[in-house]
Amino acid sequence: MGSKKPSAVSGLAALIILCVASLALFTIYVREGDSGPLHTIQLGASEVLRPVRGLLNLATWPFSAASERIEGVVDTSEKKKELEEKALEYEEGAAEAARLRQENERLRSLLQGEQPSFEYGPLARVIQPVGGQLTDRVVINVGTNDGVGPEQPVVVGNNALVGRTTSRVTPNTAEVLLITDQSFAAGVRIVPPEGSEDESGETTSAGGGPSEEESHGEGLLRTSWEGYLGVDYVDLDAGAVQGDFVVTSGRAGNRELIFPPGLLVGTVESAISQDIEQYMKIVVAPTVQADDLQEVRVIVGW
Amino acid sequence: MALAALLETTLSPLLTFGWVGPRILVIGVVAAVMGLRDLQALLLGFFGGVLTDTLGGGQFGIAALGGVLAAAISIRIGTTRRKGETGVFLARAVAVAIVAYDLLSLIAPVLAGQEGPPVVNYLLSGVVPDVLLNAVLAYFVGGRLLRLIATKEERWI
Repeated sequence: MGSKKPSAVSGLAALIILCVASLALFTIYVREGDSGPLHTIQLGASEVLRPVRGLLNLATWPFSAASERIEGVVDTSEKKKELEEKALEYEEGAAEAARLRQENERLRSLLQGEQPSFEYGPLARVIQPVGGQLTDRVVINVGTNDGVGPEQPVVVGNNALVGRTTSRVTPNTAEVLLITDQSFAAGVRIVPPEGSEDESGETTSAGGGPSEEESHGEGLLRTSWEGYLGVDYVDLDAGAVQGDFVVTSGRAGNRELIFPPGLLVGTVESAISQDIEQYMKIVVAPTVQADDLQEVRVIVGW
Repeated sequence: MALAALLETTLSPLLTFGWVGPRILVIGVVAAVMGLRDLQALLLGFFGGVLTDTLGGGQFGIAALGGVLAAAISIRIGTTRRKGETGVFLARAVAVAIVAYDLLSLIAPVLAGQEGPPVVNYLLSGVVPDVLLNAVLAYFVGGRLLRLIATKEERWI
């Protein structure tokens, strides 16, 4: 009995000390910045674990493939995937047209010679998701050796935005923050699809390529904690309607952002204006489902 | 413990859906510290968590704190354990430890100056199913694993 009490006291003291040590580590990690020692250790460990992650991904591939097959059987439409691919192709084409038109207009108005086109890194395979209950990130198998750097846009196809690289880029891997992560944000513009009529009854130009006047508003793309992708801070009189395309604006006010203009994010699923609210409530259906990602490309220059 | 940390950072993300997934570290700590002295158990939980923080991509210190809390909970609940109730003990201890771990994950982004999920939503669709899943896993998998380890130890002796 006599020895149990000191043991309990030392146990409590150890518990408090270790809790304080953990919180100290957490504080250092949050404050040190991306190049701090704890971040560097994690980066090194990520590189070391790359083969293990690759193997596990390979080992679990039959399960994910089986799961996809089951989903396909349950799905009433047998050609769903085919249609999704066609829709993606169409939407990409429309957004590409929007981007080209925007580019062309800028060239004409500013007389600035040439607007460089996108420069892509090599085709990258998604190795596996990154741990963390409240994050939505994946690791891809390209890194600084392939010209990939931090804070670069990641796309599927030519220009369907799926996320951006974080500061965790090793020579052979890069971590990608997906658009469905709650900490992801991007400046976007809502543009009408080809041939639609705006509120004044005038038909917009083909390809959805908007000038400032044709745009159905600008805002900040974010995923809410309720789980839907939305555009915040769009004015109530912006005129966004269901079916509009959502593309990156490439800027916020006068500041250039990390995304080039014209990357397709998705289409407006619902746009609600209520007088009691200051801004529209816009829900976006993403072009690419982050869960289905297999191969992506990083835009390394534009 | 090292294996649990490795699986937590490599396998667990593949099996996580939304806010729910196997917390292999917590199950590993709760099972591994059974029968250890208080200080040994807490240190094992702490260093298991530090290893998970190192190998994983999350905020450093959270898994360490989670590991310490899981060890403390395992010690506390272990004092009331009856002989032959390994599976039930593990399920109870893991359930409580998961609540602590999930609440820690909820608070961590706020402490780091980021936006956290809506509390009620997270508790209902995150913590509750997470607790159930991991308690069931601990009962079936953890219990068997411990029996296997115990049998092997007896053979060695």
